[in-house]
This record gives sequence, C-alpha cells and structure tokens, in this order.
Amino acid sequence: MCGIAGILYKDGAEPARADGLGLGHDLITMLDGCQHRGPDSTGFALYHEPSADDQLRLRFFVGEGEQAAETVAHIKAKLAELDAEVTEEEAIGSTHRLTVSFRGDIQQFAYAMEHVAPVVSIGQSLDIIKDIGGAHDVDAAYGIADFDGTHGIGHVRLATESDVTPDASHPFWATGFADIAIVHNGQITNYWKMRRRLEKRGFEFNTDNDSELIAVYLADKLAQKKTLSEALESSIGDLDGTFSFLVSTKDEIGYAKDRLAAKPMVMYEDDDLVAIASEEVSLNKLFPGRSLATMEPAPGTFRTWRRST
Amino acid sequence: MATLDLAELSVREANERLREYGAAGEDVEVVNPDARHHIGVGLVHPITVHIKGSAGYFCAGLTDGPRFEVDANVGWGLADNMLGGSVVVRGNASAIPGVAVRGAEVVVQGNIGSRAAQVMKEGTLCAGGNANFMAGYMMYGGRLIICGDSGEHLGQDMTGGTIYVGGRVQSLGTDAEPVDLPLEELDEVMSFLERYEVPFNGGTFTKVVNAGKHLRYPRLERRVRVVPFFVASEPTDYWNEKVQEDISVKAQIGRYRIRGYGAGRPLPHLSDVVFKRDLHTIPPDPEVVSKISLATELGGRFGAKPLDLSMPVMIAPMSFGALSKSTKIALAKASALSDIADGTGEGGLIPEVREAAKRIVVQCLGGRLGWNIHDMQRADGIEIYISQGAKPGLGGQLMAKKVTKEIATIRGIPAGIDLRSPSRHPDVLGADDLVIKVEEFREATGWRKPVSVKLGAGRVPDDIKIAYKDGFDYVCLDGVQGSTGAASSEVLEFVGIPTLSAIIEAIDALESIGAVCMPLVLMGGIKDGIDTAKAIALGAHGVALGTSAIIAGGCIACLQCHVGSCVVGIATQDPEHEKRYNIDVESWNIHRYLESVRWQLASIVHAHGYERVHELSRDDLVALTPEAAEITRLEYAPELRDERGQPLQLAAAS
Repeated sequence: MCGIAGILYKDGAEPARADGLGLGHDLITMLDGCQHRGPDSTGFALYHEPSADDQLRLRFFVGEGEQAAETVAHIKAKLAELDAEVTEEEAIGSTHRLTVSFRGDIQQFAYAMEHVAPVVSIGQSLDIIKDIGGAHDVDAAYGIADFDGTHGIGHVRLATESDVTPDASHPFWATGFADIAIVHNGQITNYWKMRRRLEKRGFEFNTDNDSELIAVYLADKLAQKKTLSEALESSIGDLDGTFSFLVSTKDEIGYAKDRLAAKPMVMYEDDDLVAIASEEVSLNKLFPGRSLATMEPAPGTFRTWRRST
Repeated sequence: MATLDLAELSVREANERLREYGAAGEDVEVVNPDARHHIGVGLVHPITVHIKGSAGYFCAGLTDGPRFEVDANVGWGLADNMLGGSVVVRGNASAIPGVAVRGAEVVVQGNIGSRAAQVMKEGTLCAGGNANFMAGYMMYGGRLIICGDSGEHLGQDMTGGTIYVGGRVQSLGTDAEPVDLPLEELDEVMSFLERYEVPFNGGTFTKVVNAGKHLRYPRLERRVRVVPFFVASEPTDYWNEKVQEDISVKAQIGRYRIRGYGAGRPLPHLSDVVFKRDLHTIPPDPEVVSKISLATELGGRFGAKPLDLSMPVMIAPMSFGALSKSTKIALAKASALSDIADGTGEGGLIPEVREAAKRIVVQCLGGRLGWNIHDMQRADGIEIYISQGAKPGLGGQLMAKKVTKEIATIRGIPAGIDLRSPSRHPDVLGADDLVIKVEEFREATGWRKPVSVKLGAGRVPDDIKIAYKDGFDYVCLDGVQGSTGAASSEVLEFVGIPTLSAIIEAIDALESIGAVCMPLVLMGGIKDGIDTAKAIALGAHGVALGTSAIIAGGCIACLQCHVGSCVVGIATQDPEHEKRYNIDVESWNIHRYLESVRWQLASIVHAHGYERVHELSRDDLVALTPEAAEITRLEYAPELRDERGQPLQLAAAS
C-alpha cells in the first residue's frame, strides 16, 4: 500500500539540467508529493553511470553500534574469502556501502554475501537506499538530494501486513541479479506459488515481501535473454493480484499495470525525460504551476524506456 | 471573481475560503492547483469554480450546485457523489470518474479511466474520448455517454441506468445487453453533447442497459417453521433439527440460505471472563449513577467536535431498510433520552431520525446508498464502513420485499430488486486510497466532524494499525457475535473472529505501535452493562448495542429479519406490519433498558471503589475458561466458575 515514482533522463539531459538539480532531488520531490500514500518508510533506487567492469557497489543493512562493527568485520572476511577486494567503503545510517573489485558469478557471490548480512543492493550502477520515515527524513540521513544520476525509482510505504523496518521497505533489489530494482503498489496474491517455483530452480529470497518476487521474476526472465518488454508482458499474465509497478535496470525503466486497474499510475514524457508516478500531484510537483499533458496507462499494459546512448 | 492561489494556500485553507465565497455567491478561480486533491469538496452553493490546471483526487466531490471548470486533468473520483451542478474537464479523468453521482452533469473532454460511473444513481457522465475497463460498473441509474470506445466489461453488474457508446464496445459485462436506440433518445444525447460542446462525428450510439437476469435470487426459500435461535447452528448434536432444516431448504433453492441475527454457535465471549472482586457482597446503592462519572468523549483526535456521550455506549448503526422507519425513530428517541449517540447504518438519514436523535453518526458504505453531503453536514459524526462482524468482507442484502418505493428512492436504486450491496468501496482499494478518502470527508466538513471506521473483526492487528495510520478518530470493532438484518447463514456462523479475541488483538496491536490514543468502540454480542464494563476493563473506550436495543424495543428474535414480514413491525417495510410498532412505547422500553445498562455499569465501577468508568482495567478481571484465559492472557480462575456461573444481577434504577 504505497506510492511509487520513477524518472529517466533522455539523451544525456542529466546531469547538466538547467536548474542544476539532479536525480536525487527529483525523486525526493515526487515522493514527497505522494507521501500521504505511505508515511512509514521511503526508499530510492538510484543509478549513476556504470563503473568499470569489475567494480561492484554493495550495500548491506548492518544496524548500529557494536553490532554494526561486528557485521562489517564478517562482511569483509567473506569478501576476502571470495577474492573481492574492497576499494572504497562508507558507513551511513543503518547501512554499510562498499565498492569491491570482483570478477565472477554475481548470483552465487550475492547469495554468499546475503548469508553473512542482509544485502540491500548490488550493482555496477545501482544503489538502493531505504529507511523508515519520509522522503526528507531519508534524505537527511543519507544525502539523497546530492545524488546525480541517470535514472531511478522510488517508493513511499504504508505497512499493512509486515512491520515498519528498513528491510521491509522498497525498492526491492532482484536478489542475485546486479542492477535490477522494482517498486510496487499493490498485492501479489499468487506469491507463494510463484516463489516456490523460483526457489525450486535455486533462487533465493531475502524477505517474505510479495514485491521482492516481482524483482526476482523479472531478473530471471532477463537472465534467460528476454528483453525487459518481454519480461513485463509475461508478468501481467503470470502475476495474480493488484499491481502497478516500476522496474529499473542499468539502462532502462519500465512499468506494468494489472488488468483490474486497481492501482493508480500516471506518466508524463517530454524531450528531456519520462516521469511516472502514482498520482499526477507528484509529477506536477516537478513542474509547479504548469498543466501537464499526462497519460494514464490502460489496464494490463506495460512499456519501457531506454537511455539512448 | 475571487482568486485562490494554491501555491500559497493549503487545500484546507482554500476549501474553507471556497465555502465562504460560495455562501456569498462569488465565483472563484483557483490558480496553481498542481493536481492537488479535494479541491472544492463540500461546496453546496451554485457558484462557478474555475481550476486553472490539473486537479487531483475527488475534485468537485461531495457537492451540490456548483459549476466546476478544470483546464487540464483530474485524478481519481471526479465529482464523487455530486448531487447537482456540473463539472467540465478539458483534459483526461483518471479512474472512477462520476462515482456515485446523483444528479450532476459531469463532462470530460478527453479520456476517462477505469470503472467510470460506478454506483452512479442519477445525472450524466460524458466522455469526449474513450472509456476504460468496466465503465458503468454497478450503475444503479443515470446516464453514461462515451463518445469514443469503451473498454472491457461495459456495464458489469449494472442494475439500472443507460450507457451510450459512440465507438467500439470491447466487451459487455455480466447482465448488460445492447438494445435499440430510439431516435428521440439519440436526439437527447446529441443535444447534451451540443450543450457542452463535445464534438462527436461517429454517427450513432450503441445503447446498453441492464438485461434483468440477475436482479433477484432465482428461487425463494420456502417458509419453514422457525427453529429457535439457540439451535441456530449445531451447538450439541451433529444432525440436529437445524442441520436437517438447512439441508432440506438448500435442496430446494440450491444456494446458501439467508437469515437475520448473528452467530448462534457457542464461542468464547465476555461471559467467560468475570470481575475478580465478589460484587455480590456490595450492597446496592440507589444513588450510584450520580456518584460515578460515566461521561465519555469520542472523536477529538484531529480537532473535530467530539461526541460527548453521557456513558460509554452508543446505538449500533442499523439501516433504514433493514429496519422500519418507526424502529429507526424509536432508537433515535431512546438514544436522545439516554443522552448517547445513534447511527444510520447503510441507506441514508431520514429527517425524522435526525430530529429525534441528539447525536447521529452517518455511515458511508460502498454502494453510497442514501449517502450525500447534506446529511454529512447535518450529522454529528461520519463513519466509513469497511465491514461488520456478522459478515466481514461482504455487502448487505436487502430482499425485494423490503426494497419498497420509499426505500428505493432514498437509496437511489430501482425498487423491487434483491439488493446485494457492494462489498467494497469504489474508491478504496487499499489503505493508501483510504487515507485520501478520510481526508475528503474531513475537507468536506471543514475538519469539524469526527471520522470513524467500522471494522468487522478479521485480521484485526493489521486492520487496526492501518486504521490508525489512515487517521481515523476512533474505530468501531465488531466481532463475529454481531448481528445483521440479512446475510448468508454460513457467513454468520463461520466467518469472523469472536468479540473477545478482537478487543485483545486490537489493544495489543495499538500498543505495539504506541497508538493507544486511538479509542476503540467494541460491538458484537454485548448484551448489558456487565458486558460493557468487561469490554471497558479490557481496553475498549466504549461499546455499541444493536441486537440488545432491538430486543428491548420488542424484537422476538425469530431470525426472519430478511423476509420483510416482521410480526412486531421492526424488520419490515410493510405498512400493515409496521402499524404494530408503537414508537413512543418502544422508545421508552429501549431507553429504560439503556438506563439499566448505565446502572449496572455504575454499580460495577462503584463496587471497585473507582469514581470514573475508565478506571476499570484488565487487572480487575479473571478468565473462567481455558480458552478465555488463552485469548485474554488473564489469570485462569476455574474456582470462580460455580460461584459466579450466573451473571451479576443488579436491578435497574427505575
């Protein structure tokens, strides 16, 4: 039960936008616009230009104080064991971010790390930051507004069935698959059936949250060399329940909307960007005082946008 | 023309000023609307409001009379429940435009979103462009004109009204059918389009109406000798008389049975907990009521004027429709005599009830039957019904015999149908939507009225936390022992959780998020002042009495409320039967019963040495059964079972 938002800048329109404000600022603005839909927690999946091939950004939930120090020590021991060399690190909020040099199978690497500490995200471009509180609270703790990037998605959450904790917040990383994230508004009712199918094939899940399933489902399709469009198309038939969700990869964003049209979604596109949100009020907050030519996606539809490079 | 700038004013301030301009008859333009929600809600004066940009959810909702013009787009629920006046939107409308419209003319030049005109009663919704999924869903009346194409399931479960589609009909919904369009009707449609300057070049329209195949249950239950309430299900024997009766009736009708009242099965209840202190030894005190403070306030958390009750008791919401007008008036009178609050339930507020009740809470259900801005403004409290203990997750049922012309008129539906009320709100498909709905009610009444929610006990911990986050003033929580005028007997017996479990789970959930400030009103099988005292000791802020008030007012508990031939004139709309009900006599009977509740409550508080009713706490209680001890985590005291097996007997003051 939530609000979602996503933005992608076209043709290198970012980061040199006229107002000098970037991705972090825009997502904060949009999420603040629909914070009434979810006051419990707020999260961001932010993408910057991909780093060098062997460089991976990792973010873990480590808690605070002594427990955090101990967890970080375990993480580093495991990284050393897996031949991942730490080139940069930062402790912020309840998370620890590291950049490592790693060449190898990312899925197995991710699962191994997940068994040491909860992984928030792994990717060459992706960084997921999520915590309890509103968009401005999370910004104050993590400095989101300073983040310049190419595209990103975000989420405000009203917890309905699980606790208000950072790890139950969105966006969800597609556990095991670099650079893929989703934000979801709705409820997947065939969650356990779908999850068991994927688990039988060796996939692991970080949480019991139905939204994580969407991320893993899409990542699995992409790993099978399907395009993002093809993955979204099949998701509308395979997932049962109510959903409007956004997905992001290292160079694309997309949406899918269920056939019942139970959850809202509005989009705006111009020469510079495409922005999608639960409510027009979020889009209008990016462009105050203007009447926007927005569009509401039809039930059972999907679409993707790629950064043209 | 006045100007309101939403770059400077909050929506709340702007709406307050809009109402002032409305009363003064001055037109208004709203600049920098930036798709903000609830612009203009609650306006009841015929002024023009020009919104220079996009508006958000519920634009022009809960209004009567104004003319709205919107330069760009609108969000969900355009013109929600608009009674009179008009709206013209130059751009597109999002989902459920024209929801529950009852008389207004609503025009969208562009496309309209899903479920347009859901539960519409009267008036016109017109789209210059295309409509989406399920246009005309559950329409009861009025006119939906779509100049472009329609999406899937057009007219799904419509009961009345007419749909005209200029383009392609993707598919028809259940019980909708195309019929011939008479020329004069086409002329009416075309002249409407001309009047609102909606271009149409498509030649003619396809007319779609209700096919009439699902308006009544195909077979009625044959009348049977009434098996008494205490064998409402299977209390003891496996193949008892009631089970045999059920099987034999189902063999005739081929579906679930319908009956009145609530669960008949023995379930853990408030009678399974008792006060530790031996109250039998306390001598009765004729002055006890004057010595104890029972006064209770409900609904001031967000600055509204709270309900100030003389005791922590309300009359449970029961509809005009399920009950006769005479019964509704008697309940209202009794509530005023006892200085507490009454509730409308589904189906609207009749003037006689408003007049008789000192405090009335109006209830908003998914069908929006009888719901309107004027009653909201006349009310002392507003309640959103999500579900009830007797049938959590399902809508009400009112059999055709009770859907008389008078009932149909106040509800805005066709007469003589088996009315199966929607189980969901058109505009509340999740907790996130509910936040916005609550705010719409607050805006429409200037944040002056308490807004509560009625919840049937199901997933209580989740639901209660959501209710808190959604910003309700208080929650009415209804256990499976709660009654109704008509529901499927399986649902009555087997869906929901007991009242005793409900209050414990609710209090635990609120404590877990530090939200004990949100009051709970417990209902579902509360039969006297002793149950009331126990409910309060367990953490409820108050209780609501339905069945017991009805019985006090002459009900004989025959369970045949749904049939419509109530022999005492309570659950009927037949004037011949209603004649048997004497409003003055029964209102005093109900009042005397309420005073006995007050007396018992005061006596119990007094016997504990307290001065105020809310000093009662769970420390005062023990459990008599292992089940109740498990549910409540109270000390298990089987030794008190024989001694206190009989409930405390305290005579009423008068």
